[in-house]
Amino acid sequence: MDFGFTNEEQAFAEEVRAFLRVNPPESFPETGMDAGYGSGPHSRAFLQALGARGWLSMCWPRQYGGQELPMMRKLILLEELAAGGAPFGPLAGCDQVADAIIGYGSEALRRDVLPRIARGDATFWQGFSEPGAGSDLLALKTRARRDGDHYVVDGHKIWSSHAGIADYGLVLARTDPSAPRHRGLSMLVVDNLLPGMDIRPIRNMTGKVYHYETFIDNVRVPGDYLLGRENEGFAQLLRGLDTDRFWGRFYKPASMRRILGQLVDYANATMVRGAPLSRDPVIRRRLAEVATDIAAVRILFYRIGWMIEHEMPVTAESPLAKVMADETGQKLMALGMDMLGSYAPLREGSRWTQLGGHIQHLYQTSLGHTIAGGTSEILRTTIATRGLGLPADKVR
Amino acid sequence: VDFAPTPQQQLLAQSARAFLQQHCPIERVQALALEPAGFASDLWKAMAMLGWTGLLIPQEQGGGGGSMLDVVTLVEEMGRACLPAPFIQSAVVATSILLDASTITAHRLLSSLALGDRIATMALVEESGRFDWEPLDTRCEAPGRLVGRKLFVKDAHVASDLIVVARGGGALNVVLLPVDRKGIRVLPLDAMGGDKLFEVIFDDVEVKIEDLLASEGCGKDLLAPALRLGALARSAEMVGAAARILDLAVEHARVRVQSGRPIGAFQAIQHDCADLLRDVMASRALVQEAAWLVTTGLASDAGTAVAKAFSTEACLRVARRGHQIMGALGYCEEHPLHLFHKRIIAAGLDCGDTSQHLETVASSIGLS
Repeated sequence: MDFGFTNEEQAFAEEVRAFLRVNPPESFPETGMDAGYGSGPHSRAFLQALGARGWLSMCWPRQYGGQELPMMRKLILLEELAAGGAPFGPLAGCDQVADAIIGYGSEALRRDVLPRIARGDATFWQGFSEPGAGSDLLALKTRARRDGDHYVVDGHKIWSSHAGIADYGLVLARTDPSAPRHRGLSMLVVDNLLPGMDIRPIRNMTGKVYHYETFIDNVRVPGDYLLGRENEGFAQLLRGLDTDRFWGRFYKPASMRRILGQLVDYANATMVRGAPLSRDPVIRRRLAEVATDIAAVRILFYRIGWMIEHEMPVTAESPLAKVMADETGQKLMALGMDMLGSYAPLREGSRWTQLGGHIQHLYQTSLGHTIAGGTSEILRTTIATRGLGLPADKVR
Repeated sequence: VDFAPTPQQQLLAQSARAFLQQHCPIERVQALALEPAGFASDLWKAMAMLGWTGLLIPQEQGGGGGSMLDVVTLVEEMGRACLPAPFIQSAVVATSILLDASTITAHRLLSSLALGDRIATMALVEESGRFDWEPLDTRCEAPGRLVGRKLFVKDAHVASDLIVVARGGGALNVVLLPVDRKGIRVLPLDAMGGDKLFEVIFDDVEVKIEDLLASEGCGKDLLAPALRLGALARSAEMVGAAARILDLAVEHARVRVQSGRPIGAFQAIQHDCADLLRDVMASRALVQEAAWLVTTGLASDAGTAVAKAFSTEACLRVARRGHQIMGALGYCEEHPLHLFHKRIIAAGLDCGDTSQHLETVASSIGLS
């Protein structure tokens, strides 16, 4: 066992920190809201700056413009960006789509899309959920029927993150309606600009927009924009979701550490009845306790990263760490709200706001985390049945 | 970053599990729990033959030259078996103190500990109940006399040697005494289980200069690392016990049928089991990381404190939820669940409880 970083890895971490000193996060315009996962706001310009450094494609095969660096580099990049509070919103999603396209996309898809991802010019949304298909994803109704060398797609997708400011959707659609629910599904890469795409924002409780719903009306998608094989979308989705839960949360502990640090500074500097808040035994204990939770989430994610790198299944591990990361986030943000007291509801930019007004925003967004990407209930069932081998709770 | 145990660690874990399954099955643990001494000397001798009691002692001193990563690997298996033996007291805590003391007496005792001929335990805690060296009421000069009383001393009934921490003048003295030295009285405390606990009274006990392990003022340098290793080993023990509870609970949920289906098909039970798995996996990863920090010499108090504080609370959750999942069965004395639960409680209290370790964490994150 070795929990340390090599000299090259440490040098790379320092390179990322140096990059952030030269390119401070606040100097990049925000193109989409911070959803609180730890990757900051969506900033196209920041993504392009990372692309210019070659960091978006560094782990890809050379034939697609990559440097074939080990996966650990990606983990270090994500952790350092989150620790520095950088606005790298769509990075992890883009990276996964790139891996999928490299893994089982057509040559046309690789040629058209990979160079744009590498530059930070292409971002993606996931078109999985539908109004009638949330936790029961297999109830999805969106259709894609073959018409010559195209697919014609019809349907309604919802809760797609940043869809309105992205370039392509990953749309899961039914290509064989006569097959059983978990068969006959296919994944298509759909250009936002195609005729028939109508993408509308959904304002959330923070007052900002993160999710969109998409009405797909007779949209013609080129046949070679099929990702993987026709009617095998579900197996692919499951494989993807296992790692999705990892890549979508890996950097969250680093970000929680940053917020914890801000709360510690606040506790040290805030006087309550003549003594610093940091001496309040309850606050002190809650801060220390959540610090141990964050440390646990971090090491669990590193373990999963190591398992993925060694091609071990992470069926129970990734949902387990995802649930823990999101519940720890909720605990941390609730503690932040408690500590700020009367000041807690004040938004950024308000008179008298504390800690930049971020805590109320992060508190609100944290509520969505245990719902998005698989609710904690669905995931606990997954851990119990697929990880521990307990029998399925079937409706009869 | 590499989470794979070395081939030697895999071998250690496998052979430990096989040995304990054969020589320390749960029925034997249950039988021992009902005996006043609760100690199997044949088992202890066999463990010494396997090199376990000398694992932390360097090879040139006749030991196994193992690291803390090896120790947590082995101790997790001991926790899984709920092994009743003074391993952590003697082969980790006392051994660490004796190794750091490097006096002739200490060296001599180390070889006997490794051989399984003698057993050492530490007498530190007093009425405050805290694993701390201040304030202490026990007084000792070397040469001179030792006067005072210690509480919550583990396994004193089977120990041959005591490591006693006391105040002498303004300094902290750490002395090594045979248990049968005149004036030492060992009185059992009647505890619910987990550890065998004793009050040890020092009634004007003679202390010779060669009994001194730490020269005046250096006592802290012996104690701090020993308590750190002890806390880490006890965390690994809790992980092992909690992992076993998880196995028992999942197995029960699979086979216990109510309302026409296994209770493990009910989501309420499934979700509890998922949380048990989380608590076991997260605790284990933190303990391994902290053991790695200690092994590489990066020894941070914070790493161990995080591991102990987290795993104590997490493994207690596992024990309590485990009881709920197991239902009335787990409430019975004849079911072993309560022994694992009590072991976790005992280990959680040893070498610093959650509050004490969380205070270390609080300082480490910068709280003033």
